[in-house]
Amino acid sequence: MTPDTASENPPRAPARRVDRAGVVIAAALAVLAAVLVWDASKLPSTTMYGMGPEAMPVVIAIGLVILAAGNLIDALRGNLPPRESMDPKPVWLIIGGLALLIAIIGFGGGFILATSALFITTSAAFGRRAVLADTAIALVITTLIYLAFDKLLTLSLPAGPLERLL
Amino acid sequence: MISSRMRLFGAVVALLLGASGPAAAQQLELKLMAPAAPGGGWDQTARSMQQALVASGVARSVQVTNVPGAGGSVGIAQFVNSAKGDGNQMMVNGFVMVGALAMNKSPVTLDQVTPIARLTEEIQVIVVPANSPLKTAQDLAAAVKADIAKVTFAGGSAGGVDHVMAALFAGTVGADAKKINYIPFSGGGESLAAILGGKVTAGISGLSEYEGQIKAGKLRALGVTSAQRLPGVDIPTFKEQGIDLVLANWRSVVAPPGITPEQRKVLSDAVEKMVKSDAWKEILKQKGWDDAYLGGDAFADFLKKEIVRVTDVLKSVGLVKS
Amino acid sequence: MMDTFAALAHGMAVAMQPMNLLYALIGVFLGTAVGVLPGIGPALTVALLLPVTYKLDPGGSLIMFAGIYYGGMYGGSTTAILINTPGESASMATALEGNKMAKAGRGGPALATSAIGSFVAGTIATIGLAFLAPWLVDFAVRFGPEDYFALMCVAFVTVSATFGDSPVRGLTSLFIGLTLGLVGIDKLTGQARLAFGIPELLDGVEVTTLAVGLFAVGEALYVASRRHHAEEKLEPVRGSLWMTREDWRRSWKPWLRGTLFGFPIGALPAGGAEIPTFLSYSTERRLTKHPEEFGKGAIEGVAGPEAANNASAAGTLVPLLTLGLPTSATAAMMLAGFQQYGLNPGPLLFAERPDLVWGLIASLFIANGMLLVLNLPLVGLWVRLLAIPQPWLYAGILVFATMGTIAAKPSVVELSMLAAFGVMGFLMRRFDFPIAPVVIGLILGPIAESQLRRALAISLGDPMVLLQSPMSATLLGIALIALLAPFVLKGLGRFKANED
Repeated sequence: MTPDTASENPPRAPARRVDRAGVVIAAALAVLAAVLVWDASKLPSTTMYGMGPEAMPVVIAIGLVILAAGNLIDALRGNLPPRESMDPKPVWLIIGGLALLIAIIGFGGGFILATSALFITTSAAFGRRAVLADTAIALVITTLIYLAFDKLLTLSLPAGPLERLL
Repeated sequence: MISSRMRLFGAVVALLLGASGPAAAQQLELKLMAPAAPGGGWDQTARSMQQALVASGVARSVQVTNVPGAGGSVGIAQFVNSAKGDGNQMMVNGFVMVGALAMNKSPVTLDQVTPIARLTEEIQVIVVPANSPLKTAQDLAAAVKADIAKVTFAGGSAGGVDHVMAALFAGTVGADAKKINYIPFSGGGESLAAILGGKVTAGISGLSEYEGQIKAGKLRALGVTSAQRLPGVDIPTFKEQGIDLVLANWRSVVAPPGITPEQRKVLSDAVEKMVKSDAWKEILKQKGWDDAYLGGDAFADFLKKEIVRVTDVLKSVGLVKS
Repeated sequence: MMDTFAALAHGMAVAMQPMNLLYALIGVFLGTAVGVLPGIGPALTVALLLPVTYKLDPGGSLIMFAGIYYGGMYGGSTTAILINTPGESASMATALEGNKMAKAGRGGPALATSAIGSFVAGTIATIGLAFLAPWLVDFAVRFGPEDYFALMCVAFVTVSATFGDSPVRGLTSLFIGLTLGLVGIDKLTGQARLAFGIPELLDGVEVTTLAVGLFAVGEALYVASRRHHAEEKLEPVRGSLWMTREDWRRSWKPWLRGTLFGFPIGALPAGGAEIPTFLSYSTERRLTKHPEEFGKGAIEGVAGPEAANNASAAGTLVPLLTLGLPTSATAAMMLAGFQQYGLNPGPLLFAERPDLVWGLIASLFIANGMLLVLNLPLVGLWVRLLAIPQPWLYAGILVFATMGTIAAKPSVVELSMLAAFGVMGFLMRRFDFPIAPVVIGLILGPIAESQLRRALAISLGDPMVLLQSPMSATLLGIALIALLAPFVLKGLGRFKANED
């Protein structure tokens, strides 16, 4: 994305270096095309006039196959744009926060707990270490949001143990 | 449609902000599920019920929850599974859900819920552009019989009430319903434009949606689906034109499976009281809904018959595998 | 025609009373405050706030209603620009350049050009509504499925402007979007595609879920993954907080062009606001004298789409007032404004109740102006939001982003999709795939498919229907020219360069 910082990375071997991630992307596109065709083949052809529901998926699948080939060629030639090194830890922290949010909503923990969890993990992913202070901030903000939706706008957000106290 | 929701929000907010309900409110605390997103017909029905139940003092509080998805398939699945045996919950549903459940191969069906009452209905109409050569429902019937492929019907989503009606019309006049050329549009606006622009032969919709165009002379109504002429509607019914097509887009309310007869009676009584309240009558007037209250076993019977009828039609047009 | 002026002048006189101006101000303020919540677009904003207007007299209520409506529209663009979270699909094109501008410390000019552009476009389009409505509606009704399909072809060709520098990666993004567009119940036959037996997938992929996932969540993940390189410092204001002379010079033409896209397409019953915003974005990108700035925060890319968005909203009033057709959520809200007075818009409305029609239109003018009065001074405050320390800023953005989904569809499946799209957005950024084409594919793909299939069903399978309609043939011709023009122009450019 930003070529000016790319100099931090060890210089890439110039050409003809197979980009593995690119190969994976090409493979994923091919798999997606296969899924489309498989799904379309299960559609009953009930259409009396014009085009059926199975035509468009097949067209898109053909496009995906061609693009998979295009991406594969780019990858084999090492034609992909340079990538910087990345720090996986904060990414996993945020994804963990999202998973936590989904789990809390799924098990009926309510809006305030769920979004607070996301707030705290994201904040930590961005380098904050004051978990207690962030917890307090998160609870206050999400409670205010909950109250605004529930009381002023009469839209019901998922309620859990905390929401029932309000 | 949305406008009525806004009015409703108004009422709800007014209730929350000031107007304290009647002091002698009963202890009934209900949860009402609208198996659709906020704003749609079922949501409006649920929120109107909420308003009327509280305003008339039948219930102390009513909480509306929205569980949208696939014509109610997502909502009813959750309702049947998580509300089983709970005498304080109800769910709004309607004609469209019958077809949606069949088409989506839903593992949960309307046979599983406990019917409470039908609340409202809207009659359907078939229209043609003002310059169409078709003058009566019999003309349309003749055209359908002559070459069914060339008669294109515009209407709402596939498998919905408009689609079912097109198939019923074709079947009733003696054509092969499987061969109807029905073209679903998203929303009344788009299909109306297609009809006015002469892109299709005829259009099918709820009467209120096209009433303005009919009165302005831009569309000609060939017939309505009520059993008798309705007051204030100057359109012949299909029945009086010799086509036995009677149909209405109804909305109703049901309770979870597994509730006791006493619980069922409490809910039925509450709904009956609500329907008779002034608050409910006022809402019906505001939104232009027709009162179609049908309670108890009569409704249960009606529901069963509708399920059979709709499923048969959808099988005949190939939308549901038999 | 003179009657039109007289009626409008009368409506204006009513709307300009001091009390009514105050109502307009309150309306704009409330509308903006609720409209900034993501997932709550202008339609829902008005739905939620309309009750506030009940207690007023008809004139005041209509005016406050118009204020809430414009405030809600503007609020949605504010989040798109500031935190890359478009509240609705129509402000997505705004987010593309607007957020880049905000990150570069130019959030002030971005918000200003969007507010002023909305005002200009809204005003021109409302004038267009007053004088062109009867003619335009005739045209709109004649637009058949085959013509819509041809219009989609034009849109698809111009989409390539959002592709970035590699056609292969741009097309890959577009096709991923098209694939997502297949998910759910097929509109024409009711058959489920790519739903894998999950009932929540039957309704398809929600555009806002995809956009918020790709834009907001993906962005947060990407920024977090690169934090170790160097703490990215967001400067809320760099240079002028206001639009410079240069900004004005670069904005006015996109405003006008955006209006030209927005108004007629908005007037089509199935036109919508997304297509004109993207057409405008692509056009500005082609015409700009600063192509190097696109993708890094070009003000034309904010000015054009915002104008198109607002003009299309006024365009939807054409079928509404003349046919009684609410063709969008926005128009449905307008309908609500009428029904407060027991009026049903339709063919007879202009003839029967001109006073109310013009009263509403005058209110729109006033509210539009009030928006500027209220929001331009607030621009400075809004951009300060970006001064929040990064951990809290991104944590807040994610809470806001998920909140929209939780409020609209509180299901585990929907939230999982949001998270998955977030990860996808992260990976696409990392491997340098453009993001916008995915969302465009999701929006345009299903429309193009259903319109083509409707056209073919009506013609009993004869593809010639696409060429028999003059409108469709013309549009397909334009698409073809747009497809070939870049190559031809490139050739010409080389030719010229040789000459020099």
